Amino acid sequence: MGPLIPNGIITGDWNFVIAILLGIAFGFILEASGFSSSRNIVGVFYGYNFVVLRVFFTALIVTMVGLLYFDYFGWLNMSQIFILPTFWQPMLVGGVIMGLGFIMGGFCPGTSFTAIAIGKIDGLLFTIGLYLGIGMFSLAFPLFGDFYNSGNLGNVTVSDITGISSSWLALTFTIVALAAFWVTMLIEKKVRKRITEYKF
Amino acid sequence: MDTQKNNQIPHYINPYLGGVLLGMLLLLTIYITGRGLGASGAVKSTVATTAQIVTPQDAKDNAYIGRFITNDHSPMYTWLVFESIGIFLGGLLSGVIFRRVRKPRVEHSSKISANKRMIYATIGGILFGIGSQFGRGCTSGAALSGSGTFAVGGIIVMFAIFGTGYAIAWAFKKLWI
Amino acid sequence: MNRNYIILTLIMLILAIGTIFISQRQFTKQVPPEELLWDVLQPTRFVSTDLVAKRIIEKDPSQLLIDVRSASQFESFSLPGAINVPFDSLKTSAAMAYFGNPGTKVVLFSNDGILADEAWILLRRLAYKNNYVMKGGLNGWIQTIIRPLAPAETSSEKVIEQYNFRRAASMYFIGSKTDVNKSQKAKITFVKRKKSVVAAGGC
Repeated sequence: MGPLIPNGIITGDWNFVIAILLGIAFGFILEASGFSSSRNIVGVFYGYNFVVLRVFFTALIVTMVGLLYFDYFGWLNMSQIFILPTFWQPMLVGGVIMGLGFIMGGFCPGTSFTAIAIGKIDGLLFTIGLYLGIGMFSLAFPLFGDFYNSGNLGNVTVSDITGISSSWLALTFTIVALAAFWVTMLIEKKVRKRITEYKF
Repeated sequence: MDTQKNNQIPHYINPYLGGVLLGMLLLLTIYITGRGLGASGAVKSTVATTAQIVTPQDAKDNAYIGRFITNDHSPMYTWLVFESIGIFLGGLLSGVIFRRVRKPRVEHSSKISANKRMIYATIGGILFGIGSQFGRGCTSGAALSGSGTFAVGGIIVMFAIFGTGYAIAWAFKKLWI
Repeated sequence: MNRNYIILTLIMLILAIGTIFISQRQFTKQVPPEELLWDVLQPTRFVSTDLVAKRIIEKDPSQLLIDVRSASQFESFSLPGAINVPFDSLKTSAAMAYFGNPGTKVVLFSNDGILADEAWILLRRLAYKNNYVMKGGLNGWIQTIIRPLAPAETSSEKVIEQYNFRRAASMYFIGSKTDVNKSQKAKITFVKRKKSVVAAGGC
């Protein structure tokens, strides 16, 4: 029966009300998990705080496994949900640029909004930077328009390309994520002892 | 004593609880709207709106921004803008409940000045802005919602972001620890 | 604390492993025998050649013609716009993508209609809906659409009307055969299941 809005079970008028409500829940979870602090987020790369790894990968495996059950119980028509299109070359480059921005800025877009909400000036500047970055991208777009559209594979899932079923992919991610949770728990205990200046 | 402790160690929820809640929220979002969460799209809409107000003709002619401009309504009138307003409100709500909302401040490592942190935050934002356009989304839109729906692109973006992060982390060590 | 984490880890693992079983069970999802028997006895799965011809002429996008004969037979003659899924490769995942799509009526056909009927039963057993069989198969198609027999003059108006339609359809199919063959090749690429129907728009 789902997704509800594309199937007309909830009408489009409610769209924006739902958007705000889902956004509030999203922002609340991000802030409550500690994503409003850039030092919390970046800790994942230095081994002193693994909150990003834990929240992100728990959410990822819950979503993957949950979607498969939703599909099984017939609650969600998997052919109607939006599959992000794959443009592999620009996406790889974009991911690398975002990785750089992540290390330098310490936020990602969603978390910087919550950082502004609790009064972080660096969050505000990050958001202004986002605005400038997208503006620059638009102005310079003719220079790399061809590259932007290269490597188009369409709206494909992993099982479309490799033939590996989604359940095996979900299981692999789950095992890797769970193993990472246990390993990082041990690393964190060691590193935390060494770093004494960790405060907010 | 208790309040002092509260100031030093912010009370965050258990990260696994946060992760499960976030996963369920993402499932609910997909169940209701058929697509995942996002954030950078709202900034994109803001850029498009500004361009439309400042230089209407150039905005329409721009090969990239022009696609988001229609005659029916402002580019701000999109799902992701409303969702991002929600993100801000949700962050505020959580900040008020857990008493983290305080006067404007810059959070930075003791090894760098606040100004340096502000400059790097801006540069990071610019890079993230550019990257998110190439990547068709940011960490929430492409890496989380994309990978969660088994999209190849989402998984590419996710590994590219975290892989790059780990690869260059040592170079920016001073910024953080 | 650690004990709770061990329990949670195990729950997550079991749920993830469970997805492998549910998706396998789903792949072999079958219709119970009584239901299948009931469906097989219904004549509703048959569509007439007239209706198929009408939909081809009107370029009805909801109709998907599938030729279940062998590839060599398909190449020598088939209906315009039809896709070849030989009976023995029906159960491959590439072929399955054509079936069970909402809003698409799949019409199966073969030479005499028996092979197509068998394919229909197989698909129905795998719980695919919205599949139909062209009555009489391609032989019936030739008899009714390509070379229609003129009815007796005393026939009812309805029969005469049907005959006129068939003659017009015959002209359509024979006259534009080369054209139709071209479009048939181009069409194959986009009939497959569309993954995204929701508007795109970045993060």
